[in-house]
Parts: sequence; structure tokens; C-alpha cells
Amino acid sequence: MSDPHELTLEELRERIRAAGVTIAEHRLAMVRKLLADALAPVRALDSRAIKTVEPAVKFTARREASDE
Amino acid sequence: MSDEIAYATIAELGARYRKRDLSPVEVTQALLARIDKLDPILHAFVTLTADRALADARAAEDALRKGDSRPLLGIPVAHKDIYLTRGIRTTGGSALLADWIPEEDSTCVARWRDAGTVLLGKLITHEFAFGLQMPGHRFPAARNPWNLDHIPGGSSSGSGAALAAGLVVGATGSDTGGSIRGPAAFCGIVGLKPTYGRASRAGVLSLSWTLDHTGPMARTVQDCAYLLQGFAGHDPADPASSRAPVHDYVAPLGRDVGGVKIGVPRNYFFDGVDPEVGRAFEDALGTLRELGAEVRDVQIPSMAGAPSFLLILMAEAFAYHERDLREHPELYGEVLRERILTGALVTASEYMQAQRIRAEICRETAEVMKSVDVLATPTAVKPATPFSQAQNPDFGFPRSNMPPFNLTGSPTLALPCGFSSSGLPLSFQLSGRAFEEGMVLRVGHAYEQATAWHTRRPPV
Repeated sequence: MSDPHELTLEELRERIRAAGVTIAEHRLAMVRKLLADALAPVRALDSRAIKTVEPAVKFTARREASDE
Repeated sequence: MSDEIAYATIAELGARYRKRDLSPVEVTQALLARIDKLDPILHAFVTLTADRALADARAAEDALRKGDSRPLLGIPVAHKDIYLTRGIRTTGGSALLADWIPEEDSTCVARWRDAGTVLLGKLITHEFAFGLQMPGHRFPAARNPWNLDHIPGGSSSGSGAALAAGLVVGATGSDTGGSIRGPAAFCGIVGLKPTYGRASRAGVLSLSWTLDHTGPMARTVQDCAYLLQGFAGHDPADPASSRAPVHDYVAPLGRDVGGVKIGVPRNYFFDGVDPEVGRAFEDALGTLRELGAEVRDVQIPSMAGAPSFLLILMAEAFAYHERDLREHPELYGEVLRERILTGALVTASEYMQAQRIRAEICRETAEVMKSVDVLATPTAVKPATPFSQAQNPDFGFPRSNMPPFNLTGSPTLALPCGFSSSGLPLSFQLSGRAFEEGMVLRVGHAYEQATAWHTRRPPV
């Protein structure tokens, strides 16, 4: 059974089509590894488990107050 | 010229200038001669500004005669070539900007200029601070003075090489995922990534807005402190610039580190660490213990998610470069082009989840920093990579210990802690609480004074 976190070559091609960019066929394996390594923590994440509410826009009347 | 002058510190030069037994013009002429001799093999400089340097040096001499006591007066420096310089080309190490001459100085360049430094020129950077120049590129890659067959690290590659070879006294670098600390580690010098918001990014080519940091590189911790002092502080031109007070970074350096609490995060930072790096790091901890610091292990479990920083970096880099990439793809190096284009493949949701992981890393790190003053970790997991590997298009983006502190924005200092059996420098990094550059500099200085790694010279 395939790894649910795996980035398949087919999915990579789909992303390239959707983004409207061109990446040479002989470089796809490299790009796939680069993206898959970076995606691994995100794909392993249960997004419901993170309690942080960031990012959030902060509104402050005085700039100084937001700098500390 | 003697090595004594080429490797003099800022304090040593200042003292000799004021005793009148050495002048900024003499030092500048000597460094220009050394650059003329060594740079053809090192390729650290992309643009040399000899006339400007001599004019700056003469102006510094005049000021010294009038009793000017600014510490950076007459100190020869050079800038990473992503810092905009008025009237001097700023290439970004790229073919796209190979002939671009900006009309304004970046804030950091202007502040060092106003502090009386002597501008020797512009230092090569990896292309747009993200892609090592491959053979055939418009600009050759800088070489490592410790071994010309190895990279000097990147992206502040010229800054690292020039400092190690004694071509400049100080340099600017920028650090998005380790670009100050990596060259510092590979070249056996010192590099400080200040807190996000401490040093202005205005007028510096961006790689990734939320991760980019500007900072100083030098050969000693004290020199880094002087150089940071020269440009730290609020800049209205940088929206992320902080109004937090700027402390005196130099004066506290002599204080001992007795009782200072040092945390060693044992998860993530030791995966894949070369045994020689590991031994040098443990020896450094031993030295710090002997100096009176309290060293203990800590855990930051969310660091396991740190590799997702690349999603943030690549997506933001694509946003910055998209138009030029679509209109002039041929002016980008192939490997850099595909790295940035990969940013176009990151979905909005994935980018946001990476930022949420980042928030968790920041939260856990801040929690740990309530019980320790600094974190210590190896800087690079291995010594400098050979060009034969790094210039292989399939080399990829190696795992690194440096990006976690770009995610947190914490001030982080890289400094030498030994040499490999093949003679390449090894390094460790000290990371502190936000805006506590003084603490990491103090601990780094105490370690440096107790060791002699920073006094070794490369064989060029």
C-alpha cells in the first residue's frame, strides 16, 4: 500500500499544470524530493491538534506597543 | 603585508589609528594589494571599489586627526551583493541584475558608511541568496580559503571567504535559512543573525520576507558586536523593524559566564551530525562548563517540523520572483530556477499549515527559554561540502540545524569550535531570547577567549 504522505509524480505533474509553470522532465525527481521533504511535517500534522490561533492580525494604536 | 595587519581586529586597528602608528589609508592599500593577489583564486569579490575605498580612508584619516572616536572609523568592510549600494552595481549574484546600479544605499550600508567605514567593494552571494553558481554562470562561485575544492558555504559565500582570507575586517551577510551562519561555520569565522527586526532589511534583495535577517560577519565575537552596533536600530523603511531599545553590545563582553544557563536541545539538532562535529561540540560545552556555565539538556519536540520552513521560503521566494521568472527564465540558473518554481507548487493551505508549525516551534522555544539563557547546538552538521558534490544538480537541499532560528527569529551566533581531521573548520551556534544579542555575544566571547580556534589562519 502506498504511503498516504507520499508525493507521487502524478500529483507533482498536476501541481505543475495548476501553477502554470514549466519544469523540465528530467528535473522532476529532484523537485519531487525537494517538495516532499518540505511537505512531510505538514502531511504528518493533525491540523486539529494545534491549539495556536496564530497567525492573527494585531491591531494596535501605537506602533511601539507591538514591538516588544 | 603582514598577517598581523590583514587579520587585525577592529579594536586593534582603532587603537593603532589613534596612536598614529598605522593609518586607514595604509591598511586600505594593504588590503587592496592582498585582494589583488588572492581574489583571482577565491572569487570573493564581485565588484571592487578601490577608488571609493581610498577616498573613504582619506576621509577617515581627516576625522581621526580631528579626534573622532567612532569605533568603526577607518575600518575596511565589504557588503554582500544583495545589499543595495548607491552608484555601485548590485548583482544579487545573478545574470538578471548583472549590470544594475541602484540609486540608493540600503539602510545597513548607509549606517556603516555614516559610522566611518571604508567600503572595499561588493562580495559575491549565491544567486539571489538561494542558488550556488554552477560552472558557466555569469559569476564564478567563491572558494573556501581553507580548501579551494570546498564551498565556503552560502549564501553569504563571498563574505565568509573574504573574512577568512584576511581581505576585509567586517562584512554584511543575510540569513534566511543559515546564510550568515553557514559560511561562518565553513570558513572558521563568526557570524551573527540578530533578532528579526533588530537590523533593517530595507534596501536588501529579499528571498523570503518572514525569514530574512540581515547581520554582521567578522573574525571575532567582539568585532561582530562592534559591527552590529553600527547598524542596529529602528528603521521606518522596514515594516518589520523593531523599536526595542538598542543595548551596548560591546561593553558587557568582558563579563564572565558563571551561572549562565545553557540549554542543549537534544532532539532534531543531532540527527545526522558528523562524529567530528559532535565531538567538537561536546568539547565546547565542556569549556563552557569550566567557565562556570550551567549546561543541561532540554527538549523542543516541535522542532521535528522545522523542515517545513522550506515551504515558507520557497512560496515567498516565488511570490517575489514570479514576474521575472516568467519573463526571463533564461536569466536564472537552472537549479535556482527549479527551487523557486517549486514554491509555485505549494498550496495556500500548506503554506498556512507551515506557518502554524512555525508558531508552535516559537511557542515551545519561548517556553524553554524561560529556564535557560541560551541554546547551544552544532551550527552545520558536517564540515564544508566539496564543490564536486555541491555543484551536482541533484545535490538537493541538505538537512540543516540553522533554519529553526529563522523560524523563531531568535538572535543566533555561530563561532568556531575546532577543525576536522581534514583541516576544515567546525562551528557551534548560540541562540538567545529575542533582542538579547548581548547574552549570546557575551557567552560566545567568553568561549572564544578561552580557546584559540579563531586565531588559526587558512593556507592561502
